[in-house]
Amino acid sequence: MIESRGFKLGGDDYLTKPFSFSELLARVQALIRRASRTTDPIRLSIGDLSLELLTRKIVRAGKKIDLQQREFSLLEYLMRNEGRVVSKTMILEHVWDYNFDPQTDVVDVLVCRLRNKVDRDFREKMIHTIRGVGYVLKVS
Amino acid sequence: MFLRSLRHLRKKVGFRLTVWYSGIFILSSLFLFALAYFLLSSSLSKQDHEAIQLRLEELSALYQTGGGELIEREVTIEKKFEKKIPFFIRLAGRDNKTLFLYIPYQWVEFDIKQLEIMTSNITMTWARLPGKNDKNVLEVASIRLPNDCMLQVGKSTEDREKILRHFREIFTSVMVPLILFGFAGGVFLAFRALRPIRHLISTVRSVGPGRMDARVPIPQTGDELYELATLFNEMLEKIEVLINGMRDSLDNVAHDLRTPMTRLRGAAEFALQSGKNAEVCKEALSDCLEESERILKMLNTLMDISEAETGVMKLDREPVHISALIEEVLAMYLYVVEEKDIDINITVADELSVVADRTRVCQALANLMDNAIKYTPSGGQIDLEAHREPNQVVINVKDSGIGIPQEDLPRIWDRLYRGTQSSSQQGLGLGLSLVRAIVRAHKGRVEVLSKPGKGSTLSIYLPSTNQPSL
Repeated sequence: MIESRGFKLGGDDYLTKPFSFSELLARVQALIRRASRTTDPIRLSIGDLSLELLTRKIVRAGKKIDLQQREFSLLEYLMRNEGRVVSKTMILEHVWDYNFDPQTDVVDVLVCRLRNKVDRDFREKMIHTIRGVGYVLKVS
Repeated sequence: MFLRSLRHLRKKVGFRLTVWYSGIFILSSLFLFALAYFLLSSSLSKQDHEAIQLRLEELSALYQTGGGELIEREVTIEKKFEKKIPFFIRLAGRDNKTLFLYIPYQWVEFDIKQLEIMTSNITMTWARLPGKNDKNVLEVASIRLPNDCMLQVGKSTEDREKILRHFREIFTSVMVPLILFGFAGGVFLAFRALRPIRHLISTVRSVGPGRMDARVPIPQTGDELYELATLFNEMLEKIEVLINGMRDSLDNVAHDLRTPMTRLRGAAEFALQSGKNAEVCKEALSDCLEESERILKMLNTLMDISEAETGVMKLDREPVHISALIEEVLAMYLYVVEEKDIDINITVADELSVVADRTRVCQALANLMDNAIKYTPSGGQIDLEAHREPNQVVINVKDSGIGIPQEDLPRIWDRLYRGTQSSSQQGLGLGLSLVRAIVRAHKGRVEVLSKPGKGSTLSIYLPSTNQPSL
């Protein structure tokens, strides 16, 4: 695959044509963040939602949330990219390490499950769908 | 003009072949004739010499018993009965004066006087006496008799010359047809030898846009030309597959792009007409994005299919464990399966592996899984089964869905074909085409079994001894 050759040649990331600008932007920002980060935080916290990276404990508004492995992985990814849109392709790559599009929208299903656990019982929704682009986690 | 056409002719293989063939043919027949002529003439002269020698010894023995008169008597008797080949006979005295002379009447043209001069001083054994009127030569052998007399026996080369002349006449009369025959043979040979190449040329000429089905007739000879024709046909086959693949893709794309393109256009038009309503515009733009995303996905899949079908797809072959592969695919569909409350049964033989492009086979399997999930109702069941068969590994994906009508079975792998019952399902109609294309690119095959109402089993067969090639 072209991607793997791109990585072997020393690329940090690879995008195949055609891609959306929001995806390019999100990937570049992710790379910048990775480069400037000195130490990995042990705790991510946005609004009333907090995620312990070592103990994998998630708490929202004092209420503990249980997540399965891939749900956790997606939430962590969204939280690390707080306020930035991540595309379905990026989620596929990050959560499943896949670089092709399955016919069924598995990302949709995963996001739906995560919403049920993180957002459903709360008035303020944190995970938003940007139609045609992807998903974003933010507090208004 | 003539020179130019001659130069053009010289460049033709057929012409060169003809010239070479007839040249070699004519030269070798010339050589054979010359050799035969030389051998004939030398054996004839040897024969004459032997005859002269024999006669000389005979007469010399006669002389020693009865002197000159005996020879005379012998010759007279022989002359009377004309039973022996005539010889020239001369008996000379001590001073080389002719004592007895016999010349057959047909040789009188020779100047016998010369012999008296020639042989007076030398003790020669062979002498050649040229004729007066023609090229004939009288060959004379001499012998000294004990009483110092000399006995000479000779023979004209006339008979010999006659035979050789006849031979030369035959040669000239034969040579003209021989040259013609050689040339004709050369033309025929060149014509025959170049016939497959002419077929090739005419086939290549006839191949063109819209006419890819032409094939070279294959000679049943097993030689280089057979190989060339076979290779050429294989090449045409490959080109035809490529071109047909491209044409099919293009047809399908053109047809299937029209619908999303129309929706795209509709959304944009609607947004333009909505005036300054930002919310409507935003909604329309989102529609456009989604629609273009779908188009892109379709194009990408079509390109993948085309690449795989035409053999352009690059495959990074590595050993792939089937059970790991199935787990990987399941991981992706785990939540989808849970949501739909579908039971998954996995039966995979131990240590089952193939050499294949991991990502591509994963993609194929994912598409099969996708298909199975799509057509299995909630609470249904999907069986994933893999086992080894001689030279191949089989992966079966069995769903408990609605099944596929018999008439749809052969067409489910076709591009953009969606059966009558699947039209309610979302999808591009490309998933199974991609599966087949990927499996075929791995030199494998796909199969489908279905019982309407009970479900379908889609199987992929991958060769287990998959040598990395090309």
